Amino acid sequence: MSLPAEGRSMEAKTARPRRMASAAMRRFVIGLGTIIVLLLLWEAVTDLGLIDPILISSPSRVIEAGIGPFSSGDIWPDIDVSAVEFAWGYLAAIVIGIPLGLGMGLYKRINYLVGPFIDMLNAVPRITFLPILILWFGIGIWSKVAVVLMGAVIPITIATYTGVRTNEARFVRVARSFGASPWKLLTSIILPGTVPYLFTGLKYGAGRALLGVVVGEIYASTSGVGHMISDAGNLFDTSTVFLGVVMFMAVGVTVTTLLNRIERHFDRWRPETQRQ
Amino acid sequence: MTVLVKPQAAEKRPPGVLDVIRDTYFAYERGILGVLAFVLFLLIWEGLGRGWWADLFHAESLRVKPIMLSAPSTIAAAAWHMYFVTGEMWRHLGLSGFEFLLGFLASCFIGIPAGLICGRYRDLAYAAEPLLNALNATPQVALIPLVVLWIGTGLGARVFIIALLMIVPLIINGFAAMRTVEPKYLTLAKSFGAGEWTVFRTIILPASTPFLLAGIRLSIGRGMIGIVVGEIYGAPVGIGVMINQAGQTFQTAKVFVGVLTIVICGLVLSEVVRRIERRVERWRPQIQEQSS
Repeated sequence: MSLPAEGRSMEAKTARPRRMASAAMRRFVIGLGTIIVLLLLWEAVTDLGLIDPILISSPSRVIEAGIGPFSSGDIWPDIDVSAVEFAWGYLAAIVIGIPLGLGMGLYKRINYLVGPFIDMLNAVPRITFLPILILWFGIGIWSKVAVVLMGAVIPITIATYTGVRTNEARFVRVARSFGASPWKLLTSIILPGTVPYLFTGLKYGAGRALLGVVVGEIYASTSGVGHMISDAGNLFDTSTVFLGVVMFMAVGVTVTTLLNRIERHFDRWRPETQRQ
Repeated sequence: MTVLVKPQAAEKRPPGVLDVIRDTYFAYERGILGVLAFVLFLLIWEGLGRGWWADLFHAESLRVKPIMLSAPSTIAAAAWHMYFVTGEMWRHLGLSGFEFLLGFLASCFIGIPAGLICGRYRDLAYAAEPLLNALNATPQVALIPLVVLWIGTGLGARVFIIALLMIVPLIINGFAAMRTVEPKYLTLAKSFGAGEWTVFRTIILPASTPFLLAGIRLSIGRGMIGIVVGEIYGAPVGIGVMINQAGQTFQTAKVFVGVLTIVICGLVLSEVVRRIERRVERWRPQIQEQSS
C-alpha cells in the first residue's frame, strides 16, 4: 500500500520541478519570441512599403535616429533639462512627503488637519493642475518641477503614513517601557517598520514624477526630452518621437529596478523580515 | 455594588458649559480640525489674492498679483458667471464629456475583452506579459504627437488619445483578473461541456467584475489627463481648450474654474464607481476574500 504511494510521490517530486522549469522556459521563449516577431514585423511592414515609414517609423530607423544626436551630443541638453526636472521634483517630494507622512502617522491632529487635503489630491491626477502651475511658474523648468513634486509627493506621503500606522504596536510599547527616547523610538522601530511601505510609495511616486515630466514638457516647454518628442511630432519625424518614448520607457524601468535594489538593501538590515 | 456606585454618582457635578464644549470638541475633533484647516486655507488664499496680509503686516512681499493667484471669491464668482450667466461652461463640459464617454466606451469594449482573452490562454498570456509590462512602463502621453500624425486633430483624435490613456489599466486588470478565477469552477464547467462563450459569460465575467471596476476607477483619472492634454491639439470647444485659452490670456480665475471642474468630475465619477464596487462586493462575499 505504502510503496506505490511513495513511489508516486517520488515521481511527482522529480516531475514537478522539471515541469515548472519547462513552463518557465516556455514563458521566456514565447515572451521573447513575441517581442522579436513584432519588431521584425514592424521592420518588414515599412521596408516592404506596406505602410509609409513616416507614419510608424521602424526599429532600424529609430536606432538610426538615436545614433545621430547621441554621437553629436545634441541630445544631452534635452536629457539634462528633463533629468534636472525629475531630480529636483522627486527630491523635493521625498523631502516633503516623508516628514509629512511621519507627522500624520505619529500625531493624529496633524492627520486631521492635513488628511482631507491629501485625500482630495489623491483622488485626482495632479497633472490636471498643470495649467495653473504653468501660469504660476512659467513654461520653464520650475513648472515641471512643481508638477513632478505634486505628482510624487502624494503617494510618498500616504505610503509613509500607512507604514507608520501599521507599525507593530508591541514593539513600540516594549521600547517605551524600556525608556527609549522618542528619537530612538523613531529611528530604531518606526522608520525601519515603514521601509516596505515607503518603497512602494517611492516607486509609485517615481512613475507619477516621470509622467509629470512627459506631460509637462509636451504641454508647454522650451527644452527637454518631452519637448523633443513634441517638436519631432510637429516635423513628422516619427523616428525621433519613438526614440523619446523608448528613452522614457528605459528611465521608468531603470528607476523601478534601482528602487527595488535599494529596498532589498534596506531590508537586509532587518532581522524580522529575514525570519519571515 | 450599588453602594460603590452611589458616591461616585453623587460626586458627579452637572456638566458646565466649558465641559460640554470640550466634550463636543473631542467627540468631533476630526471634523472640526478638518473644516478649520480648510477655512484657514481659503482665508490665507483670499488674503494673499486681495492683499489683506500685505496691509496687515506692512510687508509688500506678501502682496501677490491677483493675476497670478486669483482668490476663492473671484473663482466662485467666475464659476457662477460661466455656468449660470453666460452658460459657456455647459458647451465645454458637453463636448469634453462626449469625448470622454466615447473614449471610455471604446477602451472598455476593446481593453476588457483583450485583457481577459490574453489572461485566459496560457501561451497567449506568456506572449502578452512582456508587452503589457512595456506598455505599462511607457508614458502613453508621449505618443500624442503620433496620434496627431495618424488621425489629425479632429474629434476622432481626441477620443483616440483619451481611449489610449484609459485602456491600459483595463487591459492589465482584465489580465490580472483572469488569474484569480477559481480553477475549480473552470474545470467544473469544462466537465459539464460548457462552451467557451458560456464559460466567459457565466464564470469569468462575474468573477472578474471587481477587478474590472478597479481598473475603470484607475482609468477615469487617466481619462481626465487625456481631456486636459489631448485638447491642446485643435479642439473648437472643450474644458481643456477653455483652460488653455484662459491660461494664455492670464485669466487665472477661469483656469481655476476649469481645473476644479475636471477635479470635481473625477471625484464624482470615481465615487460612483466605488459605490458600484461596494454593491457588487455585497452580492458576492467570496470575491472580496479572493481579491484581498
